[in-house]
Amino acid sequence: MLKRNSMGKIMDEPIRKMVTKRLIGVISGTTIQEGVRRMLEFDIGFLVITSGKDVVGFMTHTDIKRAIADGRSMDDPVDTIMTREPRAVDINTSVREALEIMSKNRYKRLLVTENEEVAGIITRWDIEDIDKQRLETFISRE
Amino acid sequence: MRILHISDTHVGPRSSFNQLSLFTIIKEIREEEFDVVIHTGDLTQNGTVEEYEKAMNIFSSVKTPVVFMPGNHDSRAGGLDLFERMVGPCNGVTDIGDAIIIHVNSAFEDGNEGRVGMIKFNMIRDALKRYSNKPIKVLAMHHHIIPVPSSGRERNILQNAGDILDLIIKDDVDLVLSGHRHYPNLYQIENTVFLNAGTSSGTKTHWGDVNSRNIIEFNGNEQRIITRRIGRQDETQVLPRKDKRIYSHFGKRILRAIHMSNTHVSDTSAFLEVQFRNAMRKIVQLEPDIIIHCGGVVREGIPLNYDMADRLFSDSNIPIIFSPAGRDINYLGYHLFEQHLGPFEQEFSDGEVLFLGLYSPQYDSSSGVIGTRERKALKDRLASVEERTKIVFFHHNVLPIPHSREKGLLEDSGDVLRALVDSDVDMVLTGTSSHPHAARVNETIIVNAGSLSSPYQRSLFGNSFNLIDIYEGAIAISEVNSLWGHRRLLGIWDRRRAPAPFGVNPPAYRTSS
Repeated sequence: MLKRNSMGKIMDEPIRKMVTKRLIGVISGTTIQEGVRRMLEFDIGFLVITSGKDVVGFMTHTDIKRAIADGRSMDDPVDTIMTREPRAVDINTSVREALEIMSKNRYKRLLVTENEEVAGIITRWDIEDIDKQRLETFISRE
Repeated sequence: MRILHISDTHVGPRSSFNQLSLFTIIKEIREEEFDVVIHTGDLTQNGTVEEYEKAMNIFSSVKTPVVFMPGNHDSRAGGLDLFERMVGPCNGVTDIGDAIIIHVNSAFEDGNEGRVGMIKFNMIRDALKRYSNKPIKVLAMHHHIIPVPSSGRERNILQNAGDILDLIIKDDVDLVLSGHRHYPNLYQIENTVFLNAGTSSGTKTHWGDVNSRNIIEFNGNEQRIITRRIGRQDETQVLPRKDKRIYSHFGKRILRAIHMSNTHVSDTSAFLEVQFRNAMRKIVQLEPDIIIHCGGVVREGIPLNYDMADRLFSDSNIPIIFSPAGRDINYLGYHLFEQHLGPFEQEFSDGEVLFLGLYSPQYDSSSGVIGTRERKALKDRLASVEERTKIVFFHHNVLPIPHSREKGLLEDSGDVLRALVDSDVDMVLTGTSSHPHAARVNETIIVNAGSLSSPYQRSLFGNSFNLIDIYEGAIAISEVNSLWGHRRLLGIWDRRRAPAPFGVNPPAYRTSS
């Protein structure tokens, strides 16, 4: 859409401004079916599993596909199929570094932390999203 | 970290400058411990050499570092070069241990308006990138970014306030300081505290107020904001710094609403009928309880357009309520709107959620106003509402919109925003400037809709409408593309109740007794 290539400019930026800082989750013990319903309701591909104030895992499309292939019951709790320790990066990590981690490991998304607490999530699409890159003003030059 | 925030000292002739107030502050700086003093502009009344000399002479006894930046008054005689020569750099970054303070000049020669152009905007962005890992990030400039109440008609807000607001929220700035309006005001927008200073020693005060300054203390995860007025009790508010990131408890969905704007129905290229029809088809699939149209229904208020709107909107059976924009009432629209779409102020309630429409446009004008008496009536109305969730909707924006020149703000947006936030309104829906945006101001979520079906829009996401889901425990808002139906989340917020409103001190009306 934009003719100039803005990717070069943003590679050294911290991922902070591209991170989705609101995550949707379900509580531990929720059934897989309920979890999938929530993902559909919000049109998302990633769900956080919480217990009290703690994050205990994450459920993605891949986990659901694996559950179907394994013939699991959809009434099983999400805890039985969730990923327990997803790869996380600090919010001050550069876009270049985050992209490298995703490319090398073929990850679609990375969990983002700040001061060792969950701060959000970043996906490949976030980095591609021209609107998230665009922090500009055109009001005047001065 | 303890910061003293002063502003609008207006050093100059006695008619503008209350010397005693400034001397009180200087004494306070020398006696109390501050890590830094931030002066958000209008140091002088006219920006003359004599006034700068006088001001710097007064501040010469201060040992604490002071960050100065120019205001519109400082740029009046000889421009900003004089400020740089007599006071210091107009723009800069100050690194104080845990905190980084970025200050920029928002004034320009011989004008009262404010703006932060590309070069200064990039300077802020680069400083935030360089100091991304600093625990405390402060941005200071003279002109306000959020409308300020009790200070008259809204004017001189930063022309590109929406762009700056976007940058501030995305880069997690902790505190934004400004002045200019001569009235102290505080909002927490998402995780950022926006603090406006009153005049610290100017004679032009508003609403019976007196000279004041702000003190900000950062303690671990919270900010303590103290507004100290001359001869009055301190006003203090404590605000947590970090917000919730994970939303697991939604509970039952109470209501689903569609929020749209600027359909611009017409028999011209200014109306994209394919986008309109696709969007309406998607809306039917989403099964909302109600559609709220925040104005810009037709391109111009002429019979042909209203006849067309009648046909297009009658295709769905979902209840729809409208609020007019300026273009809806232009030409004969003033009569046609009521004939075709119903009264100017429409309402909807399902017993749990109330949608309350307000009339904000003016004939033959793009600017809007609610009005003094109407604001009072609104406050009274909101105080007696029985529904648990209160949503107010109208066309013009009360919060700046990214990627636009600020022109759609209500003339009385400062007072309207304060009234809505203090009346515990859960959500405010607006529909101007054709760029979607959602942010929570204190406990009130302010949502703007993009254009549903006009090519004259500003969002790179394309034409869109908003999907609002109200749950027992949270409110989620997404933007849905009109043409293709894909969506992205604009935000989720807990449904919490408001703390005590700021401004609890009674106003200082002088009575004859």
